[in-house]
Amino acid sequence: MIRKYLYASFVGCFLFCLSASAQTTNHAAYSLFVVNFAKYASWPQAGTDFKIAVLGKSKIYEELLKSTANKNVNGQPYKVSQIESASEIGDAQIVFIPDNKSSNLDEVVKATAGKSIMIVTEREGLAKKGADFSFLIIDNKLRFDINSSDLEKRNIKVASSLVSIANSSM
Amino acid sequence: MNKFTLVLILISTVCVHAQDLDSLINLSAFTEESELQKQLNTATSVASSKALSTRETPGILSVITNEEIQNSGARDMIDVLRLVPGFDILQDNQFVMGLGIRGNWGNEGKVLVLMDGHYMNELLYQTVQIGNHFPVDAIERIEIIRGPGSAIYGGSAEYGVINIVTKAASTLNGVQVYGVGGIHSNAVGRTNAGVMAAQHKEKLSWDLSIFKGNGIVSNSKNFQDLYQSYDAQNLSKTTTANPMNINFGLKAGGLSLRTMYDEFKTTDPYAFSYSKNFFSDVRYDLKVNKKLTVTPSFRYYRQLPWSFGNKDPFEYALKSRAERAWGQVEGSYDLNRKVNFNVGALYFADKGTDLLEGGAFNGNNTLTLNNFAFFAQGLFKHRLANTTLGFRYEKNNRYGSAFVPRLALTKKIENFHFKILYSKAFRAPSILNISEALTGEIKPEKTDAFEMELGYQFTPEMLLSLNAFSLTTKNVIIYGSSGEGDTFNEWYENYLKSGSQGLELVYSIRKSKWYTTLSYSYSQAIDGNTVDKYVVPQTSKQYLGFSRSKIAFNSSFKLNDHLSINPSAVYGSKRYGYTSLDEDGNPQANELDGYVLANLFLNYKNLFTEGLNIGIGAYDLFNEHPAIPQAYNGDYAPIPGRSREYILKLSYQVNFKK
Repeated sequence: MIRKYLYASFVGCFLFCLSASAQTTNHAAYSLFVVNFAKYASWPQAGTDFKIAVLGKSKIYEELLKSTANKNVNGQPYKVSQIESASEIGDAQIVFIPDNKSSNLDEVVKATAGKSIMIVTEREGLAKKGADFSFLIIDNKLRFDINSSDLEKRNIKVASSLVSIANSSM
Repeated sequence: MNKFTLVLILISTVCVHAQDLDSLINLSAFTEESELQKQLNTATSVASSKALSTRETPGILSVITNEEIQNSGARDMIDVLRLVPGFDILQDNQFVMGLGIRGNWGNEGKVLVLMDGHYMNELLYQTVQIGNHFPVDAIERIEIIRGPGSAIYGGSAEYGVINIVTKAASTLNGVQVYGVGGIHSNAVGRTNAGVMAAQHKEKLSWDLSIFKGNGIVSNSKNFQDLYQSYDAQNLSKTTTANPMNINFGLKAGGLSLRTMYDEFKTTDPYAFSYSKNFFSDVRYDLKVNKKLTVTPSFRYYRQLPWSFGNKDPFEYALKSRAERAWGQVEGSYDLNRKVNFNVGALYFADKGTDLLEGGAFNGNNTLTLNNFAFFAQGLFKHRLANTTLGFRYEKNNRYGSAFVPRLALTKKIENFHFKILYSKAFRAPSILNISEALTGEIKPEKTDAFEMELGYQFTPEMLLSLNAFSLTTKNVIIYGSSGEGDTFNEWYENYLKSGSQGLELVYSIRKSKWYTTLSYSYSQAIDGNTVDKYVVPQTSKQYLGFSRSKIAFNSSFKLNDHLSINPSAVYGSKRYGYTSLDEDGNPQANELDGYVLANLFLNYKNLFTEGLNIGIGAYDLFNEHPAIPQAYNGDYAPIPGRSREYILKLSYQVNFKK
């Protein structure tokens, strides 16, 4: 009987352990950056909503929903959606590519070519490969690289104050 | 939207939200650190050329903090290391307590002990005497590689590295005095005390520590060693373990100096063994540019290691001076944020001088060794894995060369981390290993080491890690001796093969008011061991003196802001030791029961005034006093373990005004 209790306690403890979260990626910080990219940039045409599309499943989707709820940018209410493929980007202003979807960057770049759509990637180094913003981590702090020339091609203007805090601008 | 409107929007946006951007650049990429994570994320460079967090550093690592040492009430390094997975304490000879690691005897040149950068292994035999030797109450942290470190540290780090960092040399900005007293039912176990003062400023830092103590090795009242020719002894009166250490450091800009004098006097009922060690190190960190730092350094050692002889009449059997002059140039280059290279070259000359002029070095009164070495390491950080690639090549004018490459893959991915490590390691023959070579020639030991660690952080406060290891050593350097008094003879010879395999499991939980670390270590002898001095007839799965399994438990509970209660315990499974004689009068190995060492310590911080701390407790609550067997068949019976010891610790710290 005691052994059963011990097993039950052990399993209970293990399940509790699994349900709790450890120190992991701070998705709220990524979300905050994306919201500020929206604030500090301007698009040539304003729609009714400011659309942010997240490619695939990622916790940043939930964080973006939280941080943009009942808020707007330059009078446009945010609308955050989760999409399954590049073909669903539509007229979003920002498309976010989580780390596990980094291999879809080329597909997203092709699908958005010539359009004023800002591509933001979670994985480091992708600003050199066609994204407009890519995150990186320096001394545990979240930073970003910015691809100004691509943004210019896409006719998206970014405030110099945002560029000034970038890790690198190309 | 015309251009004017666009500019207006951008300007107004910048004005309104400028403060947002300031806060953005301080955002952490990770969720808030728990107490455990703060410890795990502390960068350490003990196992790599570039500092990395504990979970990513290329070595199986244990880090013990000042808080853990103080809370546990550890009396000396024996108590500290018994709680570390894989470590064990065994007897060398002459009642000297030495280190065992992962089921192997490691006291001679296999485990490197550093204190504030100073190599504490003496130069004649490469041993470290561990019992009541080091000032545990002056330690800020201990970083331990539970695996080979030769590629970085050379020929004394074949199985492990223990890097002690004192409080004075690192964090103290003020003055601290401390003392510890230990009392057994029939004897005073130890009285150790120290004082340290330090000031660390950006341009100029200095520190000075002094530590002195008196202790015994055992308090057994009626000990008769069957293999030694003395009568029954009261060990509390006939054994000593008396340390002294003076440590001074100075740092001005890139220039740093450290100098240390260390003395340890120990006795068994029949013989004395004294060690004196002076060390000085000067180095300069020359920052050529943002990416490149070049560090030339010079070290000098002057020692009287393990001078021994009869106590009555007092007579030296060995009294030799050992010196080492060491010059090194090392460069560290950060190619970018993810790639670092570390390269260096060094030369050192060792000299042994027989002060008794009895031809201690193969009939000569002096012996000189010349060594040069090159080393290089590259650290490449990638999102999939961090890769460490390195080697060390060392050549000696007497025993030849050793080349030890190293490859490590490590990565922390969210809650999970892994380490895959392969390295070769070596033990460089010491001055007496060479001069006392049985065949006139001795080769360096060489080890192949494979290690793998997997870890998972279930919650911010909880980490479980498991590692497996395999150590195979060839050309094992083994000590032998025969005779007594005038007929005493000792020698070294290479044996073909030894080593061990095993695993270590560590579970840590750390909350704001309590923490617990629970570990399990398992090791077994490899097949094909040829070192007969390690073998017992009862089993081929474990070596003489070692437990195959060890469980260690260390915990602390804060009852309020001042008072904490700190239980700790160590369980060791059965061992074997030479405890009797067979019909022909030869030593006979017998089973020694498993043991539990349970300890309890109460700590009260800031008693009456800030900085005054008092602790009381008891070690070996159940009074099991397990014996300490000799780690090889060397004609010493196990030392009776010390019985329950009541401990009182006091310390007082005054900080300098900032």
